[in-house]
Amino acid sequence: MSIISVKEVYKRYQLGRENFVHALRGATMQVEKGEMLAIMGPSGSGKSTVMHLMGCLDRPDRGEVWLADRRVDTLPHGELTGIRGKEVGFIFQGFNLIPTLTAVENVALAAEYAGASRGKARERAEDVLKEVSLADRMGHKPGELSGGQQQRVAIARALINEPSVVLGDEPTGDLDTESSREIIGLMKSINERQGTTFVLVTHNPEIGDACHRTVLMLDGAVSEG
Amino acid sequence: MRAIRNIFRRKLRATLTIGGIAIGVLALVVMGAIAEKMTLLVNGGTEYFSDKVTVSESPAHSMAALPMSIDRVAEMEAVDGVNVASAGCTLLLDEDGGASFGMPAMLIGYDLRARDLESFEVTFADGRDLEPGDQGKAVIGSDLVKKLGVEKAGDTIEVRGRTFEVVGIMEATLTAPDTTVLVNLPDAQEIFYDGLPEFVQSMVTQDEVITDLTIYPDEGVDPDQLADRLEAQFDDIDAIGPEKFEEQIGSIADIFNYIVYGVAMVSLVVGGLSVINTMTMSVYERTREIGIRKALGASDWRIIRQFLTESAWIGLIGGIIGLALGSLMTAGGNNAIEQSGTAIFLLTPRLAIGSLAFAVVLGVLSGLYPAWHAARMNPVEALRYE
Repeated sequence: MSIISVKEVYKRYQLGRENFVHALRGATMQVEKGEMLAIMGPSGSGKSTVMHLMGCLDRPDRGEVWLADRRVDTLPHGELTGIRGKEVGFIFQGFNLIPTLTAVENVALAAEYAGASRGKARERAEDVLKEVSLADRMGHKPGELSGGQQQRVAIARALINEPSVVLGDEPTGDLDTESSREIIGLMKSINERQGTTFVLVTHNPEIGDACHRTVLMLDGAVSEG
Repeated sequence: MRAIRNIFRRKLRATLTIGGIAIGVLALVVMGAIAEKMTLLVNGGTEYFSDKVTVSESPAHSMAALPMSIDRVAEMEAVDGVNVASAGCTLLLDEDGGASFGMPAMLIGYDLRARDLESFEVTFADGRDLEPGDQGKAVIGSDLVKKLGVEKAGDTIEVRGRTFEVVGIMEATLTAPDTTVLVNLPDAQEIFYDGLPEFVQSMVTQDEVITDLTIYPDEGVDPDQLADRLEAQFDDIDAIGPEKFEEQIGSIADIFNYIVYGVAMVSLVVGGLSVINTMTMSVYERTREIGIRKALGASDWRIIRQFLTESAWIGLIGGIIGLALGSLMTAGGNNAIEQSGTAIFLLTPRLAIGSLAFAVVLGVLSGLYPAWHAARMNPVEALRYE
């Protein structure tokens, strides 16, 4: 059963007055529930753009995007915000934690945005941080954590609202080999234990190897997979 | 306290911005305290003049009192609608005038015939009111206690070369009586007469010179209409009723207040501009963070609320610091000039609360544009921002 369906999507960005970049040219792909999918391809092939569409961060110029049996590309701005908060979790390359917040506050923030009270959100954040083996680092700010630990916090943040799908944009991009393997292992174990769907945009072949399936993109379309 | 942590990410910038607001609020508090004092003085005068007419020799309102004959008492009391015309002799407490704000300290001698008709109530912190026949005795206002070196009723004071026994110290009224020494009419007449040029002295006797009359109207008589009638009947006097007082003194006070608050507002607007600048810089610097928050599901309203909370905190912290400095400055200022007998500043609760509230509102208003700009960001572009 597909949790995400991207059908014939086109997206172009305007650079300057008459300059356009065609990021997607009729890309189509499906993500099955519980699947761990890697999207690979050269820079500029449209990997990140398709991930943004799946995560309701952007809308296609043409085509359809379905998330959990609901067409999302036509939804108004406010509803897309709500879906991002509850149905989707994000992991970014540069960890993208908020530097003034502690690990537990960073994780709890996503739950607060999804409507949980501050106390409840914190309680849940503590539980999720324990799951990613960061029980002893909850009160640390991002600057006091290693790269691998920061990405664990980001994974905890992505998981706190029990989303239908976790989207990762180069989740190991800023990590050394050892931390990178640790994070891949963590995502794989979450996928296996909890059945969480992962879609990971990456250049890292080790992620490709760890995933159930790999989709290759080229020039804004799916070339393989 | 996440908002405060965000504000102090850039400590120097936050401190300078808060400093800008604090200086604005300081100006508002100090200038406002002057205006509040002025307003109270005027309100006290308005209350005092609300039911009576003051008559003086034309041209009136000169600090150098012009002599008037006590025969005027009988002339005025003969006018229909006049109940009592009470003779008064009003002089500057210091012969040279002294430097002071608002009403200078005054020496007032008055006959006590109309005391029961007086609606402006004065109570005593120590001692008692003057009684008829209290020659060489005085009642003093609360602001003059230190200036004249009085500790209690029974002490003596030196006023314009004469010694008086203080029989009473008035409670603070926050208006003119606080800077007034009250004596019986003959004592004030003696001082006034001695200060007159010799050629004037040769024309009058000491017991017939006064400077003004306080007219208490008959019951049901409008004091403004009575003042008009008196001026129509006697073309060499100035008669001031409640309306005329309000017109002359009230409007001057209003203009003064506009200027004072205007200056303070300019300072605050400058402070507000620095908040806009700081918050706009903060939004640009945190573009990526805004993208993350949006990706995590923050609504536009949450983003706006976050930045408005931060700018409101800047306003509040600046306001508290400005108010604290303003309180110290006004208290210090009053203390420093206490010897002159006149408090310049009056920091009222409404001024304190109003200044703080204004600082917060200013902070929020200054944060509106940056917050709106942050909320409108496209999350994808914000996430790509380096």
